[in-house]
Amino acid sequence: MRWCLTLFICCFLAAVNALSSSGSRLLAVLEDTEQKDLYSTLWADLEARGYDVSFESPKSDQLALFKHGERAYDHLLILPPKSKGLGPSLTPKHILDFMNKDGNILLALSGKSATSSSISSLLLELDIHLSTDRSHVVVDHFNYDTLSAAEKHDVLVVQRPGPLRPDVKAFFDGEGVLALPRVAPHTLGYDSVLLSPILKSPATAYSYNPKEGTPAPEDILATGSQLNLVSAMQARNSARFTVLGSVEALEDQWFSAEVKTPNGKKTPTVNREFAKQLTAWAFKETGVLKVDKVEHRLATEGAELNPSIYRIKNETVYNIEISEYVYDKWVPFEVPGDDELQLEFTMLSPFHRLNLQPIHRTDTSTVFSAQFVTPDQHGIFSFRVNYKRPFFTAIEENHEVTVRHFAHDEYPRSWAITGGWVWIAGLWSVIGGFLAFVVVWLYSAPVVDKLKKSQ
Amino acid sequence: MHLWQATVPFCLLAAASLPGATATAWGFTDATVAVQPKGAGVNGGFKEQFVASKPLSRPVSLAGADTLRVTLTAQEGSSAKRPDQAFLLLKDAQTGLDISYPFNAKENGKSRVELTQKDLPIQFLSLSDPVDARIIIGGFGGSAAYDSSAFQLSIDRNPNEPVPTVETQRYGKKPEIHHIFKESASNPPFIITLAFVAMVGAAIPALAGLWFFLGANINHLPSALKSAPLPHAVFLGSLVAFEGIFFLYYTCWNLFQVLPAVAVVGVVAFISGSRALGEVQGRRLAGLR
Repeated sequence: MRWCLTLFICCFLAAVNALSSSGSRLLAVLEDTEQKDLYSTLWADLEARGYDVSFESPKSDQLALFKHGERAYDHLLILPPKSKGLGPSLTPKHILDFMNKDGNILLALSGKSATSSSISSLLLELDIHLSTDRSHVVVDHFNYDTLSAAEKHDVLVVQRPGPLRPDVKAFFDGEGVLALPRVAPHTLGYDSVLLSPILKSPATAYSYNPKEGTPAPEDILATGSQLNLVSAMQARNSARFTVLGSVEALEDQWFSAEVKTPNGKKTPTVNREFAKQLTAWAFKETGVLKVDKVEHRLATEGAELNPSIYRIKNETVYNIEISEYVYDKWVPFEVPGDDELQLEFTMLSPFHRLNLQPIHRTDTSTVFSAQFVTPDQHGIFSFRVNYKRPFFTAIEENHEVTVRHFAHDEYPRSWAITGGWVWIAGLWSVIGGFLAFVVVWLYSAPVVDKLKKSQ
Repeated sequence: MHLWQATVPFCLLAAASLPGATATAWGFTDATVAVQPKGAGVNGGFKEQFVASKPLSRPVSLAGADTLRVTLTAQEGSSAKRPDQAFLLLKDAQTGLDISYPFNAKENGKSRVELTQKDLPIQFLSLSDPVDARIIIGGFGGSAAYDSSAFQLSIDRNPNEPVPTVETQRYGKKPEIHHIFKESASNPPFIITLAFVAMVGAAIPALAGLWFFLGANINHLPSALKSAPLPHAVFLGSLVAFEGIFFLYYTCWNLFQVLPAVAVVGVVAFISGSRALGEVQGRRLAGLR
């Protein structure tokens, strides 16, 4: 009976483990069941990965993101509604509150119909901009699917994206092409560090409103790689907001479609694989970092762990153990190619900023280490690891320590300072002279008498 | 293998030129690129014609206030027509930057685009190498779109003017910082120290020699030890012990170890000293000193 229970608990734990690092309750907001059937493979894939998917219509009365002030769901997948807006329970404010409480959101747009103004204002809050009439579609006369969009060229065929920069990990790369039908493009604000494009348009692409025909030159706001097809915004609390320009790319039909570019061969799409990568990232199955342990101590053998006080010019060792979540397990974190994990030893501003080196790897984590000499400045310092990178959750580790001055008995002794030897010799010669004087004074016989006698 | 690779483009070209073999393709004729310096007339400055699929060999220079003007007549097949897309695409191979400027196209296919440095994004102004200027002409339907390099555009700036830069924060690694320590206290050269130590050390022999010259002696020591052996030995011993205590204080003792020791030795020195000095007084009264 008992082992039965243990086995049951083990199975339960295994099932719980095989999911996102931040919960399994996923709410898919879509208008009707008819729409739901179009994406049956997506739902099946999500459920197979351990998500507990619920479906609600934006018009439904029961739809509420919060229950008793807490999130009712961990993740939100919003499909574009056919009606004007998302309704009273999914206002931009509710959705931002959901993010502020660490909820993740994947928002799909569609170029088939105009995007609702409530979604547009939500995106504007995050510095993601849609075209002014909110009904643009991306076309590219070079990279389109000749089989399904021979006339309109609005089914883009693009490669999966590589790394955003050489120092950023590629979460969405791989072989094969994606078919993105009728993409509603967006552009990203210039100043935000929180925004990262996932997939950009090819350089030859542009967007237009299909109802208005060829755009006048002055109506073209962005072209080529300025037009983003898929983008991500990761908030300061590491909550994720992902915008996918083409909801149709998630349909069963495009998961198994074959596409052909004007000069290419017929190839099957990898939309299903990309949808897995995208939802996995959006719902925190990938790119999640965790600090397991932080240790600092003097570099001497057997020194006390994590002392609260150091002296200036102490040789110090700092170790940090970091894991990365990949789909269903924690693995040792590896810093991407050109990037560095950096330790700062700061008081107001960093006195040291050092690259941490991996020294040890356990089954689930990597230990990074740095050794340095504390600065010759006393005060309240902190060991700070502030690792914020596109597509990774933020690591902010701050450990405060006191750095004191030399104590009176920690300075070098005077005989160790060669410049002091002259003074030390002077002192001892005075002492020797004094003793000699005492002896001479006590026992010297007068000599004057002798002189007198000889006279 | 090489032969095969070389023949493929020919075959493709041949296939493209065969009438009716494939769908029509977009292209252009009557293309010119002109750079008009500020204040110069319409025909002032640089002007050159170019043809499709054959980029100009020399880069076109666009300096400070110049206006770059590209005009062409777009064609679908061989008939002039307004294309749905006619762009001048600037692309930098190194950084991957790209930006397009749409042509102002008329129904008869005549298109023109004008460009000054003010229209360029700031990022393009700091590029050292010329960027690739490509012509893109395309449209809906089955006609193959055209995309090929037309010329290299070199964006020249007055070297005295600073290049505008843009500072945006991006998450990434920062430069390393290593604290620069204050210089530690240093000693004078060892030889100089030794020379001065020798000079100080020489003071004792010099003093001894001077005293000896003046006739200092210890002739009374035997008689003093005979008359009061214990007080003299203890008094001198206590003086040496004082110096020993000071030496220990200097090397390892603290004040609380020193004070009791000094108190004990002080009492001993006081008692033995008064006896010893009494003996010295006796010698003085006896007229011996």
